[in-house]
Amino acid sequence: MSEHDQFRELIEGYALGSLDEGDRGQLEAHLASGCSDCGAALAEARWLVTQLVYLAPPAEPSEMLRARLLQRVRAEGVNAPSAATAGAPAKSAIPFWVWAGVAALLLLTAYSTWNAKRMGDRITELNAQVGDAVKQREALRQELTAAKHEAVILTDPESRRFTIWPNDKQMPRLEAAWHQNMGIYVTGQKVPMPGKNRVLQLWLISKSGKPMPSRTFWPDAKGKVDLMIEDPPEVMADTKALAVTEEPMGGSPQPTTTPMWVGGVS
Amino acid sequence: MFLAVLTPKQNDDVSSDAALVQQLLRRDVRAFEKLYDRHSRIVYGLVLRILQQASTAEEVVQDVFLQLWRNASQYQSSRGPFVPWLLTLARNRALDNLRLKSERQRRREDQTEELPQIAQTPAYEQALDEKRRAEAVRSLMSSLSAPQKKAIEMAYFEGLSHSEIAEALHEPLGTVKSWIRNGLIRLKEGLQAQAAS
Repeated sequence: MSEHDQFRELIEGYALGSLDEGDRGQLEAHLASGCSDCGAALAEARWLVTQLVYLAPPAEPSEMLRARLLQRVRAEGVNAPSAATAGAPAKSAIPFWVWAGVAALLLLTAYSTWNAKRMGDRITELNAQVGDAVKQREALRQELTAAKHEAVILTDPESRRFTIWPNDKQMPRLEAAWHQNMGIYVTGQKVPMPGKNRVLQLWLISKSGKPMPSRTFWPDAKGKVDLMIEDPPEVMADTKALAVTEEPMGGSPQPTTTPMWVGGVS
Repeated sequence: MFLAVLTPKQNDDVSSDAALVQQLLRRDVRAFEKLYDRHSRIVYGLVLRILQQASTAEEVVQDVFLQLWRNASQYQSSRGPFVPWLLTLARNRALDNLRLKSERQRRREDQTEELPQIAQTPAYEQALDEKRRAEAVRSLMSSLSAPQKKAIEMAYFEGLSHSEIAEALHEPLGTVKSWIRNGLIRLKEGLQAQAAS
């Protein structure tokens, strides 16, 4: 028996899958060498082996298996990408342009959200800046108003300018301008700071001699006094003099100390 | 009725199987349904014969057809007819399941893990219709001695090796090899004779 015949005797067993390991290895090596006769014999033997299926008793699978299988296949047919086309790109049931549209929409939504937040932050920032600007504008307006008041009080022909003299000759004098409608403007230089927890308070002394309480104030760090009484009280027409006393913090309804400065309006 | 659905009767049917498999590549559920209705009974009969348990057999049949659905490109008509390919796939799956259950050494794992190899339809096959071929197979196998037929069935339905069969039947290894080879040759010659008659 030739070597080829020896291998040929293994073909049926190999097709059946019943060869032991040693025989199988030898035959596979022979087949790998390219023996066309054995290759053709093996292909036919494989077909022959499949005919043994007729030895199996007839049997029929349940309808449930069919229904279950078709349900899965239909679900995968609709939802799952096909693995059948190996190497080919998976084909979606949904057109590409739909996915592209969804992707674009998501990007647009994300950008819109980000942009809205950015705009919101910017608006908040601008609102804060506007608020600051409004406050600055209001402060400027008040300063301008005060300046206008000062200018009117200082320049109006109806205004009266006079000096408020200190009782202590070592103390600086104060200058005052009085306008019937616009108010009173008091200035001074090198005015000493009142004692701890004390303030200076302006008094309007009526023609009857009764002191009417007005604003409290402090000189600034350089001793400058710049006091504006914008809305003069009705009693101003009857005011004959101004006085300044040192009072407790918050001022007093009646003078508690001897006036440090007094000046007649006329 | 059983025989009528065992395998395709005509070349048209064979090519139709191949055409249906091609349609599976396009996710054609109706093509799958046709293939299942055409071949599920023979596949189930084979798997049930191997596993001897209906519920497990149905699971394996389901796996086989799902593999067909998901990997239809694995079958190439140029390498042989569809039904032998499908039956080989089903047998391998069933034997794998059987070995896992019995925790037997997976002697054939290198073969069962891979796809069915080329199975060339012989010329005489085309002269026999489905029913005649099935009857011939049964008749020819019945003509064998009981131990010879048993050895072939143990190899085909139980996936046993020559040495395992020899041990189980208390026969020499050489005897078992001869039984199996001679039995298959006799089957082949019998089918050829049937086709010629």
